Amino acid sequence: MKKTFARKYLGIPYAIFLVLFVIAPLLVLFYYAFTNATGHFTVENLIGFFTDSNTIGTLLYSLALALVVTLVCLVIAYPIAYVLARSRFNSKGVVIMLFVMPMWINFTLRLTALKEILTAVEGNLAFHPFINTVIGMTYDFLPFMILPLYNTISKLDGSLLEAARDLGAGDIQVFLKVTLPLSMPGIVSGTAMVFLPAMTNYVVPDMLYNSTYIMGSLIGSYFSAYDWHNGSMIALVLLLIIVLFTLLTGSEEEEKRGGALL
Amino acid sequence: MKRFLASALLITLVFINLDAKSFASEESEAAPGEIVLKVCNWEEYIDEGDWDEDEVIDLESGDIFGENSLVEDFEDWYYETYGQKVKVQYSCFGTNEELYSMLTMGDEYDLVCPSDYMIMKLMSEGMAEPFSEEFFDETKEENYYINGVSPFIREVFEENEIGGEKWSKYAAGYMWGVTGIIYNPEMLSREEASTWNVFTNKNVYRRITIKDNVRDAMFAAIGAVKSDYLLSDGFLGSDDYSEKLMDEMNDVSDETLTDVQNYLQLAKDNLYSFETDSGKADMITGKVAANYQWSGDAVYAMEQAEEDDFILEFAVPEESTNLWFDGWVMLKDGIKGDAAKKHAAESFVNFLSMPENAVRNMYYIGYSSVISGGEDDDTVYEYIKWNYEADPEEEEEPVEYPLGFYFTGDYEDEDYILTVSEQQTRRMLYAQYPPKEVIDRSAVMLYFDTDTNAKVNRMWINVRCFNAKRIPIWFYCLLGVLLGGGIFVVIRTKIKNRM
Repeated sequence: MKKTFARKYLGIPYAIFLVLFVIAPLLVLFYYAFTNATGHFTVENLIGFFTDSNTIGTLLYSLALALVVTLVCLVIAYPIAYVLARSRFNSKGVVIMLFVMPMWINFTLRLTALKEILTAVEGNLAFHPFINTVIGMTYDFLPFMILPLYNTISKLDGSLLEAARDLGAGDIQVFLKVTLPLSMPGIVSGTAMVFLPAMTNYVVPDMLYNSTYIMGSLIGSYFSAYDWHNGSMIALVLLLIIVLFTLLTGSEEEEKRGGALL
Repeated sequence: MKRFLASALLITLVFINLDAKSFASEESEAAPGEIVLKVCNWEEYIDEGDWDEDEVIDLESGDIFGENSLVEDFEDWYYETYGQKVKVQYSCFGTNEELYSMLTMGDEYDLVCPSDYMIMKLMSEGMAEPFSEEFFDETKEENYYINGVSPFIREVFEENEIGGEKWSKYAAGYMWGVTGIIYNPEMLSREEASTWNVFTNKNVYRRITIKDNVRDAMFAAIGAVKSDYLLSDGFLGSDDYSEKLMDEMNDVSDETLTDVQNYLQLAKDNLYSFETDSGKADMITGKVAANYQWSGDAVYAMEQAEEDDFILEFAVPEESTNLWFDGWVMLKDGIKGDAAKKHAAESFVNFLSMPENAVRNMYYIGYSSVISGGEDDDTVYEYIKWNYEADPEEEEEPVEYPLGFYFTGDYEDEDYILTVSEQQTRRMLYAQYPPKEVIDRSAVMLYFDTDTNAKVNRMWINVRCFNAKRIPIWFYCLLGVLLGGGIFVVIRTKIKNRM
């Protein structure tokens, strides 16, 4: 009996953290989203979100950007993760280290370096703002895609693959019918970790000179004009979209996924 | 066991001792009789001392050298002069908006240094504490500000009013400047850089940047869309040219905002980027050919580029230029009617206005101080001379550059005519102390009230966002079908799995 009490108390620091830094800010967000400048309740901000062609346009632009970034990350990460997980060579750890190591370096520093490299390659960054943003974000988020994929694929039960082969499946068939479906949890978890930040991380487009706002910069723009209400509403709607997205893709994979998250 | 106890006791003692010490030092900070002055200034906007030994500014009237920070020097000076200890709690802010947010969230400061429009906002909202009458008493030697402020800045502060009250009552100037275009003369002619229309100039296609803040971008855009009118003979020759110019540059009518938005949208497709801080670096590394810049930062960029033998120049557009300044404002929330504190705050301003301290700041920050030193003190003029005067042996065609306006209010004043290289009339000196015609076409940009602010921000968002109306309808149909299909498939598989 005593033991369970002790365990309960272990949760107190986190509970305090949760209340102070997760629940309280959310309440403040709700309050601002549903009030106007005079402090009265209003749904105007909500209506404004869906009737303003700028907000919708920015949402679509951010979605398109996030989609492309996620696809590019997936296309690059999957083969690497597959090769690393299935091969038997000893220096695996070194290769994985090579992918994780960039995350130890401050990311604005990495972006500054990337800016110089891209300028050397392209001559002028401003000609391809969208592509540059995709490159910058891919550079930034790639490890978040590789690691979950690697984890899932390396835990794959080899006997299943052997069974498939015994039953007459070719290499391609084995991959499509066994490996790919079984690595879905990794794909979903990797996608969630890349797609969501790609929609809002405005430091990347800012530093690589993309003059078109994405969702994060739009919120920032409202805040710097002291318009907390519209900014909060956009943040709130974005939060709901993300929750919806996670519910649709994640709910069932959630149970199968084990330690796939970083 | 004994040993354990002894060491435990020792550790406890050490801790208690440490505690007592830290407690004592805290107490001494708030000791009775000592004034705590909370000052909030821009980052890197005051001489922090610690100069290298070869950095001595050797003027005719004596050497100037920054050994300690000006804040420390002030504390010593105040104690020596008034026999009263002052502790300055010095902190920094990044943007005017950030400072305002801090103040509205309840942070209390005694003395802050915002820009012109934020000073007006603080004044109009009744947050500013007026300077005392004593501060303006010219007979007192220690009133360095009122005795040393440039007549030109003094006039600006006297002539402009907010809600019937003069700026000078609530604000004391610190640094000032104009806005213009810093450009690479090999890629853009001076004539092309001397108009706000430069942002749509195809010669610098994707090689020009503008500030990523709505006020600066808007000033430039107003100048661009009204260019023809502002440069017409009728307008230039009108009697009340200065007032009319200020009205035009502060025009926030719906029609003007629409024009400004259209112009900025056009410019967006021609710009390299909207920059917050990277403009100087991109200019120095040659990534861009031209950049909207404040005069002080332009001086810095030109100096840095020159170290690599890369020559940049500064031009002020013919239409108009934004005369801006940062100034010290006392806050009611901080001062709380405490006369001793107010005196310390005013003395801080006066201390920074001592000519040699103004020079130290100018050297350290690179901006122009509002202090000219008054009639008897030539330190500031000597510093400009030390910086820019041409060496007659090396210079083939030196030119005369009149600076009297900043010192006596008269451009023709023969005591203040500097001989400089011809280059300086297009470069650092031109940026730091612009000639008469530039000052004549300068306009102060007023603050926006709440409604205007919302309107202007809307315009800015229209410029920066990807508008959904630009997407053809078939795309939405496709998107709808794809989304619907996707959701259908997901739900179907889920139902299947359940069964």
